[in-house]
Amino acid sequence: MLASSETVVALPADVALHARPAAQFVRTAVGFSADIAIAVNGRQADAKSLLAVLALGAEGGTELRLTASGEDAPRALDALRDCIAAFS
Amino acid sequence: MVGIVVVSHSAELAAGLADLAGQMAGPDVRIEHAGGTGNGALGTDEGRVRDAIRRADGGDGVVILGDLGSAILTIRHVLDSRANNHATLIDAPIVEGTVAAAVMASAGSTLEDVVRAAEEARSARKL
Repeated sequence: MLASSETVVALPADVALHARPAAQFVRTAVGFSADIAIAVNGRQADAKSLLAVLALGAEGGTELRLTASGEDAPRALDALRDCIAAFS
Repeated sequence: MVGIVVVSHSAELAAGLADLAGQMAGPDVRIEHAGGTGNGALGTDEGRVRDAIRRADGGDGVVILGDLGSAILTIRHVLDSRANNHATLIDAPIVEGTVAAAVMASAGSTLEDVVRAAEEARSARKL
């Protein structure tokens, strides 16, 4: 049975998940073996796919639901939470 | 780290796209561009493409994206004439494919994973 984790984190009010922030987010996700999904307003994308994450069009302040399954799932979500917190 | 080569009929388009992808992927990925014929005209040039592949090649593989028609033929000619080929031509829209490949490469991903990310651009929706 694989570990599965979930967290909800809001984007900073003035940072949309576009271009560079999206690239940082995906780069962080790719560093883990867990399968990671990001859902915004009911739409879900593979957190390791830049084009899929960009297509979510998440604006500043939006709540992101992150789910991960796999051995390093909790660490992956911690890292993504830190990544989002560092956006400015 | 996998390197990226952007080939366009337009030197400005190739340079601009390499710049955009570099802004998103960060400074560690080699993103080279080969646009135009070298004398300011629109077109592609085998020598310029060959040089760009050489500059992009850090030993972990190279992915190449081209814009239209004869750019693709030029890239294929260059790849056919190379002995040691860990350079791969990507069949995908050039902007989305280049940016996706560059970001995936910046995470230290394998050539296989970078190719897959770039090819996702074929079916990626913008909306």
